[in-house]
Amino acid sequence: MKKLFRILCAALALTAGTTVAALAAVDLLETGSSLVYPLMNIWVPSYTKAHGDVKITTQSTGSGTGISQAVAGVAQIGASDAYMSDAQLAKEKMLNIPLAISAQQINYNVPGLNDVHLNLSGPVIAGIYDGSIRFWDDAKIKSINAKYAAKLPHEAIIPIHRSDGSGDTFIFSQYLSFSTPSWKNGPGYGTTITWPAVQNGVGANGNPGMVQACQSTKYSIAYIGVSFLNETNKAGLGYAALLNRAGNFVLPTEPNIAAAANELVSKTPKDERISLIFAPGKNSYPIINYEYMIINPKQSSPQTADALKRFLAWALDQGQSKRYLDQVHFIPLPKSIVNLSKEQIAQISG
Amino acid sequence: MAASTIAGGAAKPRRPGVSPQDLVLRYGTTSCAVVTAATVFLVAAFLIVYSYPALRFNGLSILTGMTWNIGNQYGTGVERHGGFVAAPGASFGAVVFIFGTIASSALAMLIATPLAVLAAVAMHYRVPNRLKTLVNVLVELMAGVPSVVYGLWGIGVLVPWISNDLGPFLAARFPNSPLGGGAGSGNGLLATSLILAIMIFPIMAATMRDVISRFPKQTFEGAVGLGATTWQSVTSLVLPALKVPMFASAMLALGRALGETMAVLMVCGNALNLLPQNIFAPVNTIAAAIVSQLDSALTDPTGMAERTLAELALILFAITLSVNLVARLIMRGSDRVKRTA
Amino acid sequence: MSEMALQGAKARTRSRVGLTVRRNIGWGVSVLALCGALSILGAIFSFVLARGLPALRPKVFTTVTSGIAGGLENAILGTLMLVAFGVLMVAVIGFGTGIWLSSYASPKPREFVRLLTDVLAGVPSIVVGYFGYILLVKIAGWQFSLAGGAIALTIIMLPYVVRGTDLALESVPRELREGGFALGATYTTVLLTISWPYALPSVLTMLLLATGIALGETAPLIYTAGWSNYMPTWQLTHAPVPYLTYVIWTFISQPFAQSHALAYAAAAILMLMIVVTNVLARSWLESLARKQHGAR
Repeated sequence: MKKLFRILCAALALTAGTTVAALAAVDLLETGSSLVYPLMNIWVPSYTKAHGDVKITTQSTGSGTGISQAVAGVAQIGASDAYMSDAQLAKEKMLNIPLAISAQQINYNVPGLNDVHLNLSGPVIAGIYDGSIRFWDDAKIKSINAKYAAKLPHEAIIPIHRSDGSGDTFIFSQYLSFSTPSWKNGPGYGTTITWPAVQNGVGANGNPGMVQACQSTKYSIAYIGVSFLNETNKAGLGYAALLNRAGNFVLPTEPNIAAAANELVSKTPKDERISLIFAPGKNSYPIINYEYMIINPKQSSPQTADALKRFLAWALDQGQSKRYLDQVHFIPLPKSIVNLSKEQIAQISG
Repeated sequence: MAASTIAGGAAKPRRPGVSPQDLVLRYGTTSCAVVTAATVFLVAAFLIVYSYPALRFNGLSILTGMTWNIGNQYGTGVERHGGFVAAPGASFGAVVFIFGTIASSALAMLIATPLAVLAAVAMHYRVPNRLKTLVNVLVELMAGVPSVVYGLWGIGVLVPWISNDLGPFLAARFPNSPLGGGAGSGNGLLATSLILAIMIFPIMAATMRDVISRFPKQTFEGAVGLGATTWQSVTSLVLPALKVPMFASAMLALGRALGETMAVLMVCGNALNLLPQNIFAPVNTIAAAIVSQLDSALTDPTGMAERTLAELALILFAITLSVNLVARLIMRGSDRVKRTA
Repeated sequence: MSEMALQGAKARTRSRVGLTVRRNIGWGVSVLALCGALSILGAIFSFVLARGLPALRPKVFTTVTSGIAGGLENAILGTLMLVAFGVLMVAVIGFGTGIWLSSYASPKPREFVRLLTDVLAGVPSIVVGYFGYILLVKIAGWQFSLAGGAIALTIIMLPYVVRGTDLALESVPRELREGGFALGATYTTVLLTISWPYALPSVLTMLLLATGIALGETAPLIYTAGWSNYMPTWQLTHAPVPYLTYVIWTFISQPFAQSHALAYAAAAILMLMIVVTNVLARSWLESLARKQHGAR
């Protein structure tokens, strides 16, 4: 009886102990970009296993929601594929801290050409999406694809765009804006833009929706985040080599993405708000971007600020290792950017 | 006996409606009704107050404009109108959403209502007694399928079927009609209407089955005794008598169709800035547009995009209200005709 | 047989044949409609099960959602809590309003409140969610919470429960109620002992319908309950709550096969919950009916 009593006391003490520890744990909420959500989901379990005093919940809601809820204080980390604009920052002083670099590929579904890489350029893609280039065997497409000119079919191109507000649309439309003056003065760029009304143009929801739509619609073209490269390959979609600022057609490989990032490292300002689209450099892949964490420098309590800073520091350190980033085809931040981010993190207080 | 127990046993009979329990019941239920009404008013008030800047900024152009443009978020300057500002170049037009909402809901009701009534008839009169509970549970289960799951099934099964099988079939038979023209990707008005019809079907079928099963047996048997077949009794006696519950469940179903968000979002094709040419073309509904545009709207520092989405919700509120009022007038009109005739 | 009699006989046979044909077509279409609906249900069920089965291991019930997959323990409990609170609130308010509509309301307020509830049914779930977000999460300062999510679900379910109770009580035969009054019973007694038991099956049908709809809602909860990767507590405010529909909506968009399998597993579990709720409610109703019959 006495032994049982002692065991019960021990069990009670243990549960009380863990409960106390659990109660003392800090709760962090990350919400926002669906592009960086897979990476957060790979980071967080690894981090929380080693640090039991913090509970991090991740949520995929969209870049705009991430920014808005971080500003409102409902979430501690707002993940966004786009940095905040000047107008947004004027309303609320927030830190835009890059934690990773992602990229985007242009996928297409042209039977017979899905296993090779067609060459495409900003002006050509802009022409497809505004309806001025209507068929796959258009002269403009043929002129940059001498190798496959004969195999290009006379079929109408079906441009697929994102119907929900998205960071993918932001970086895609930025590429078109930076490379094509007519697009810059027309639809411009943003997480949602006024797509020119093209016959057969389709709107899809989310990256999986883009993959699905491209796969089931022959002769379609779509822009899809690089974390979905495995999915698009599985679906049998081809992806293009894009014309970069230096005039070369490059594929979204790691070296090419890293080359683009490195070109703009020296130009990145202290607040790290810069577009990496259409970077100079002969190997630079033109559609890459920083994945930002939007964070309020004034947190609700010292414990929250402290837990937040430790997680961010880990993400900038161990989090940059290949075993995390490779699963989503992101590349690590260049060293100087890591330092800039660390300086921003130091501004967080509770 | 029961009488003496209820009356309290003694010689003095009680007047119904004045016991203390009755007062509690009366005031309790009245306060519940007040809460219900207040909730609706609160939602309406929220929408009106929140969208006020958008109402002033957009004016009537939102009902005639086809383009949805939240403006250049990264540009400089602002767009000024009606005393409020928006991002430069912003102009909000909701014609595409309004059309899609009304068209898809109308089509869905057209398909689902007769089928639901017929299925309810079958559920009561044709299903063998030992299977009745099972069938009833299964139909109610249809209402419990999450709308995201309907959306997933729509994307995975319905939309490819429309695109690969139905589209070419109809294009071959009716080449020069709204049914022809091929189905494109399959995401469009037809897919939306079909999914909505499937979703609202159980609301009407389960309710109708329930009220049909409560129809007085003597009345029914009387008709059969006079020589009517079961079918005649059902169509001429039971169904006309159940017009009121039928109407009520149809209004609830219509409400669900007008406001359905997730499933529609996934199969409608998310058309922006153009109206559909045939039933296969992509459409958009107010509810789906609110979800898909909300995230971008939140990036607008002027807040005008977010307010305009609230205005869209207000427009839907107005549409639902008008449809309900018109339907009630029609019902009352037909009753009056019957009585004078 | 005279000419007229022959004509008459022919006409009667024609109309009888016409009647028979119409009758058969009528029954045929009815049964077809029912079978069609049930086969669609079957198709959806098999669609979900086929894809969710790989993730439906016992482990899924004992681990929380973490990383790109994990389990559903937190989401299942969260869904149960949110819906339980919601159903409790909607039962009180909905039954009360329905009783008021059928027993106490004068014609004009009655039609007015009925109109209001029908209009409420048309408010999109995202609008209810955003309404809850602005009012409860931001203005009231509750942050993501159990209370906020439950209130959002209550608003969604309210029209169905109100109208269901209203219709059910309206359908109670007048003779039954008048009999009660004639025996000297009070309003409350008539309601509780005569009208309510008679109306209960119909009321329950609508309540189960509403519960099913609430279980399947996503948008209102994303903006009021938020999401949590951890087990929910009984804290009413300032603590986000996990729920199954979030997993379905979000994990289906992930580029990982395990995430998809978990999403479909969540869908399968959700549908199972609705079946169980339905079956339990109906068997409870049947045992209640048996007790009533036994007492008599």
